[in-house]
Amino acid sequence: MTLAGPRDSTIGIVGDGFGSALVYTTAVYLGFRPEQITVFGPNGSPVDTYQQFAYNLGQTILRSESESHFLPADWPTFAQLDAWARRSPAPLLRSVRRRYNPGVAEILAEATTVQRRLGWDANRLPVRIGWLQREQHPTPHFTLYDEEANYAGRARHVMLAIGHGPLAYPPALAKAREDPALADRIVQAYEPKAYDPAGRYVVIGAGIASVNEWANALDSGAKVISLLRSPTPDEQDLNTPRCFFEAYGIDAYQALSFDRRLAFLGQILKGTSPRRRGWEERVREGRAQGRFEQLMGEIDEVLPGPAGLRIHVSSRHGPDPGWLDVTGVVAGTGFQKSGLTLPLLRRLVQFYDLPVQEGRLLLRSNCGVPGLDLPTSRLCMMGIHANPVIPHGDTIAGLKYVARRFVADCARAERIRHRRFPSRLRMQLSLAGGSVEAMRRVRRAEQIA
Amino acid sequence: MCPTVLGRVQTRVAILVGPAILATILSLVTGDEGWIVTIGIYLLVGVALDTTFYPRVIRWQPPWLTFLLGVTEFVLVFVLVKVLQPGQPGFGDPDALVGPADVKVIVFFWVSWLLAIATRIVVLPIVSLSWLENGGEFRVTGWSIQPEAEPLPLVAAATPEAAGGRLVRELSAVHDRPVERRPPLSGAHARPVSGTSPDR
Repeated sequence: MTLAGPRDSTIGIVGDGFGSALVYTTAVYLGFRPEQITVFGPNGSPVDTYQQFAYNLGQTILRSESESHFLPADWPTFAQLDAWARRSPAPLLRSVRRRYNPGVAEILAEATTVQRRLGWDANRLPVRIGWLQREQHPTPHFTLYDEEANYAGRARHVMLAIGHGPLAYPPALAKAREDPALADRIVQAYEPKAYDPAGRYVVIGAGIASVNEWANALDSGAKVISLLRSPTPDEQDLNTPRCFFEAYGIDAYQALSFDRRLAFLGQILKGTSPRRRGWEERVREGRAQGRFEQLMGEIDEVLPGPAGLRIHVSSRHGPDPGWLDVTGVVAGTGFQKSGLTLPLLRRLVQFYDLPVQEGRLLLRSNCGVPGLDLPTSRLCMMGIHANPVIPHGDTIAGLKYVARRFVADCARAERIRHRRFPSRLRMQLSLAGGSVEAMRRVRRAEQIA
Repeated sequence: MCPTVLGRVQTRVAILVGPAILATILSLVTGDEGWIVTIGIYLLVGVALDTTFYPRVIRWQPPWLTFLLGVTEFVLVFVLVKVLQPGQPGFGDPDALVGPADVKVIVFFWVSWLLAIATRIVVLPIVSLSWLENGGEFRVTGWSIQPEAEPLPLVAAATPEAAGGRLVRELSAVHDRPVERRPPLSGAHARPVSGTSPDR
């Protein structure tokens, strides 16, 4: 049962994904009562959006490591939960060597258990927030409205956990998708798709989504050309170097100017892919069978063709590959990073004249929205929009980092009584036990690192 | 985990609280100060390694290193106990390389180590949500740089008053008043293009 109507809350969470679940869980863990927190969003589960993308991508394990999961505190780690669930030391041994990655099904089972036990859904108002208004009287707070401008409630502190923008396409493909004759042959890696065994496909990019698609297409028996815009990226287990997940790196990162932070993000977040045994083998086999090749270049024209599409590829790194006849094109080009692609943010930027640079909101060093954020009534952002503040803002570890600090700020502002150690331990063990039960019911994901 | 030097020292002190309590009880019960002094030696060895050696060789500390570091620290503490002989006779064997009386020291070290590791793995993450993220430091759960301490660019910005001030109105081209023409900036202080400088 969700909330029947608007209410006043201490913490309002705009968004219903992973970030929302982590803010909610942390707040309850630190001592807020569930009825003090309201989640705003139409999805019935915080895993819905991610689950759909993971399914479309054919993803079975996360890139994250053992500490990145949905219990409020960092112990037990996910490998420990997995070992407990399967009564096997294998996850622990892998974790000790940093070769453990949580399975998608298992981590979603954990997230679902945690949100059910803590009442995330029972404190959710199923509306999409379209506008929020800063109010100063009688005390600083925000009034929230849905996309039809209906009143949705008030909250003293608000976390904007609205996720990333829409899927991104290179310009030539975006234009071609407007033609109904071509549109269904050009898809994003995160969209649903089916490969034809006799098909010939171009997969753009070399990040984790693209690498998954190479494997999916090769598995179906199809031929794949991997099209790279720049030389092959570095292989890296995580999408940010390890020490940038902790104080060492974050302190140093925040000491940089905004321009230098953006340049750094551009460097580290562009096309890193983890080394995976399964993918390597499949690609090696595909190459040996003449079904996989890599090209440097960019698609600059798309026409209908005998195979479905006729695309022109030009290259800055050598002779132009020219025209190719292909069955389809898969763009592993991720999501729009600009905050201006999200209607709520765009409205806030326009109305409150918020500072924006290269499409990114210039957040304060505490992820606060400048001009609207106050110590007594916080307005914060998390996820990809917080990357200029926290380099791994769009990972589970980054979401946790921001959620913990935001909730701690709220707790200080509200002077709440913190949950005591025995109560925290009891809650953590109870959630861990429930998660283990849930994990036993799902099929174990194969570790491929 | 990428511990900072301060984080290493803070964590070391915190995880040895349990063993120190255990050693105090043992010292009081047996009347042998060797137990508590051994923990003191362990703390000193640990802090010395944490501030001088570990930060130079370990930046990112994978979990598998924990046991290896424990073995290294055991060897150092054991040698120091043998040399310093902190307890009453029977607490450590002063003669043999490893004698029967050393069993107490060896067992006590590993019990203390297990207690310390359990504190680090289980207790500290529950007590402090941000301990792990803060490189092992016990900071208040907060942001690296508070917004009040953010560096701000110093720019020459016109205030709204200046924009509509007297000087602006005087210089405004809207009023078609005669203005005296002056030399350009580069012509105000003409410099010699060749020859020696005046002070030579």
